[in-house]
Amino acid sequence: MADYRVVGKGIPRKDSIEKITGQAKYTFDIVLPEMLHAKILRSLHAHAKIVNIDTSEAEKLPGVKAVITGKDTWGMRFGFVDTPRYPCEQPVIAEDKVRFIGESVAAVAAVDENTANEALDLIEIEYEPIPAVFDPEEAMKEGAPQIHGEQIPAPGRKCAWQDWGVARVARSYNPVNNIGATVNLSYGDSEKGFAEAEYIREDTWVVPRTSHAAMEPHGAVASYNPLTGYLDVWLSHMGYELKRYWISKTLGIPISKIRVHKTFIGGAFGGKAQVFDHEIIASFLSRKTGKPVKLILTRDEVFTSTNNSIALKINVKKGVKKDGTIVGQHVKLISDMGAYRGSVPVCLFLCHSMRDAIYNIPNLTHEGVGAYTNKSTTMAKRGHGSQQMTTAIESQMDWIAEDLGLDPVEFRLKNLRQKGDVLPNRDTLNSYGLPDCIKKIVEASNWKEKRGKLGPGRGIGLAVSAMFNGSGYWPFTAGSIVRMNHDGTVTLYMGQAEFGQGPTTTTCQLVAEELGLNVEDVNLVDGDSELCPLDYSNFLSGGMFVSCKAGLVAAQDLRQQILKVAAEMLEEDVEDLETMNRRVYIKTDPEEGVAFDEILRYSIQKHAGDLLMGKGFCKPVPEIEFYPSLSKGSGRWTDAYSFTASIAEVSVDAETGRTKVDHIWIGDDCGREINTAICEGQLQSQAVMGMGDALFEEVMFSEGRTINANFVDYEIPRAFDIPEITTIDASDPDPNGPFGAKEIGECARAAVIGSIVNAVYDATKVKITSLPLHPEKIFRGLEEKAKS
Amino acid sequence: MELAKKLIKVAVNGESRELWIKQNITLLDLLRDYLGLTGAKLACISNSCGACTVIVDDMAVKSCSVLAMQVDGKEVFTVEGLAKDNKLHPLQQAFIEHVAFQCGFCTPGKLMSAKALLDENPNPTEEELRRDMEGNLCRCTGYKKYIEAIMDVAQHPEKYSAKEG
Repeated sequence: MADYRVVGKGIPRKDSIEKITGQAKYTFDIVLPEMLHAKILRSLHAHAKIVNIDTSEAEKLPGVKAVITGKDTWGMRFGFVDTPRYPCEQPVIAEDKVRFIGESVAAVAAVDENTANEALDLIEIEYEPIPAVFDPEEAMKEGAPQIHGEQIPAPGRKCAWQDWGVARVARSYNPVNNIGATVNLSYGDSEKGFAEAEYIREDTWVVPRTSHAAMEPHGAVASYNPLTGYLDVWLSHMGYELKRYWISKTLGIPISKIRVHKTFIGGAFGGKAQVFDHEIIASFLSRKTGKPVKLILTRDEVFTSTNNSIALKINVKKGVKKDGTIVGQHVKLISDMGAYRGSVPVCLFLCHSMRDAIYNIPNLTHEGVGAYTNKSTTMAKRGHGSQQMTTAIESQMDWIAEDLGLDPVEFRLKNLRQKGDVLPNRDTLNSYGLPDCIKKIVEASNWKEKRGKLGPGRGIGLAVSAMFNGSGYWPFTAGSIVRMNHDGTVTLYMGQAEFGQGPTTTTCQLVAEELGLNVEDVNLVDGDSELCPLDYSNFLSGGMFVSCKAGLVAAQDLRQQILKVAAEMLEEDVEDLETMNRRVYIKTDPEEGVAFDEILRYSIQKHAGDLLMGKGFCKPVPEIEFYPSLSKGSGRWTDAYSFTASIAEVSVDAETGRTKVDHIWIGDDCGREINTAICEGQLQSQAVMGMGDALFEEVMFSEGRTINANFVDYEIPRAFDIPEITTIDASDPDPNGPFGAKEIGECARAAVIGSIVNAVYDATKVKITSLPLHPEKIFRGLEEKAKS
Repeated sequence: MELAKKLIKVAVNGESRELWIKQNITLLDLLRDYLGLTGAKLACISNSCGACTVIVDDMAVKSCSVLAMQVDGKEVFTVEGLAKDNKLHPLQQAFIEHVAFQCGFCTPGKLMSAKALLDENPNPTEEELRRDMEGNLCRCTGYKKYIEAIMDVAQHPEKYSAKEG
């Protein structure tokens, strides 16, 4: 392995001091002069017509500066998906009807929060309740309440994908029987595969909604200057381009007059990617009042009104030869979308594509449908489809292995794809560390001595997962600038959103490595849409592979500029020079050289003021122009895959059905660990989050009302719950990754969940087919098993 | 209804203050809105996440669930008071070195909980520490590096105090 100075080291984070002293300013901490405070009135009905809204009493309350309703934002639509096929359909504030409990129906800006809350109480709304539907299968039946009429874009309205250069016109969409999204793709012939099969197994899994539960609640501060027409916003986000695009599109403020300022962001996990009603409302209220407006959601609102992860019912039919060769697979998905599409159309596709790099299945059919229900919307959460499918597929893999008398590890290894394989959609596996991930954790966990041999109530299980590395999403590029400073240090400008996952620190490492600098010699400007280059986002797991790489490319560009000037100064060839410690030296005579600061001065003096500034950019999947068709699943969509194998060891208490995770081993292929400490942190994070998913996390509803919208009733793992965690690097460097690196932040969660599910089965032999593995389900399963 | 304001005396990070406050505000409001100390965060307002943890008279409390009137005559200590004379507290040093935090939103609360624990019990077992930190939720890190960092301070104080000088 190549020897690097900075890359591959577990150095402290660049944002350390701000974060351990309380100096880090999150959106909630922003205070502006004359700032107003806004609150949103939310629907208490799951499905109702709005007959009348009377805001007159609220407007009279002293201290109230503005009250708005759907009449003010009439016709404005937003959504994560806004394609020619699926026009976005979510109103900023409900107009003639409400579609879920928690939907915004009015908003108030006032001098303080208490006054705003008081004003909400004074708004009179007359509703006419209409029958609601909460179950996706009920929603798709003839005669079910129809949640949407035909979705007709306003005359002349372009969909986002048209704005972004997709030369197709927006169409209307008529959701018959509440069907709001479909996907249907296949390759080979699954029926032929089943005919060849010597064993067929079919299972149906149910994966519920969970909360992203980022510690920082969503919020926005917006400040519109009526004299200049500029809007300044501070948001809790995962990429500023998409947010300001939507604020611009809904409010008609030119995108170049919207500036998303740098704030610290308190976790995201997919749940802050899309634009939200409250962000548009805060901006609207600021423009209306001419004053800055702060709008921070409560935890209850985060649960009930932003979005949950995507709920899926997953039916998998698999055909296998007796020797364990998989010959056919047919997947049918049903998603409980909620009142608006959220990211479900994307997820239905990702459920296939996140798994397609793992096993070689010659005959495959993948169908999915998303149904509108009277609940809040659902959205990508750390893995976006991978964890739901991994749970279903990987548990079935174990049950097939058991039925055929195969070793679960050998069964998986037999069906893996191989490095260099070209997938049916033409993506190529230029790196494929999965076999190594499996082998390394099988050895580390002592799997062979434990599987089936741990004794009553104890079990061990394995699962594997894959993750993409960025995909084509607007603005289809990530850019970076590295400029030389007076003293020979550099400043990096990067547009990625840092919400804890560490791209700012790791990109500084890439830049430092390339230029022969220390990380301390790299200043950082990030997260500000006006100061930093375009960056397509941080919600497609392309942070390292695409956006961080743009930083490296900028450093490479600067390095060439530096060497060219140095070569002139030293009267040497560029090839004979090297950079280290803020100077360029001659490889054969390291004493001879010039310092970076001298090079900068020389360049300015002799080269018409050339101030040495490197530019870098990177496009996800450079070969394709736009995103592939999601509904047909054809076409390339990512340039590399990351892989994880996880093994979990558990103890299950037969008296209570309660599971304790004792140890999790994660083998991960992230190409190369740029910062070992950050990478370890990402894997530990996913081990613990995945444990919560597997064992206890579920957003629960009763007649459309979330009944556990707080951290007492909705538990997330606590410090005392955490198991032993062993993380093992099994990276296969990718030729297109920066120093070979790929993503590490999302892949492992799915494998962890699957491995816990399989370990619980190993311990109990009870087949549970819904998450989470509540003690009650296990207890009842054990009870039934004892009876039979 | 507007309540009459009351005068309280409170020492915040060692500095005595007299403040006229509304009687219905929380300690968290007092710190954030009156004193501009925004290190303590609001993340749940139900006393269940620990992001707002500060120390009142040597005890870690969740400031979203304490009325400001209750700290009249007491000493309040926040994350902003941890570093002294431009020197980081050992826990802060350890958090940096162990790369214990990610998004950092819950970090001030964790630091204050850990400080209160170590002040009372300088040599906790890992089990005691995990129990004690149970009230401080974190979604990013999986807790492991926090626990390691705090244990390192407890077991090897010389590593960190040496750097303070």
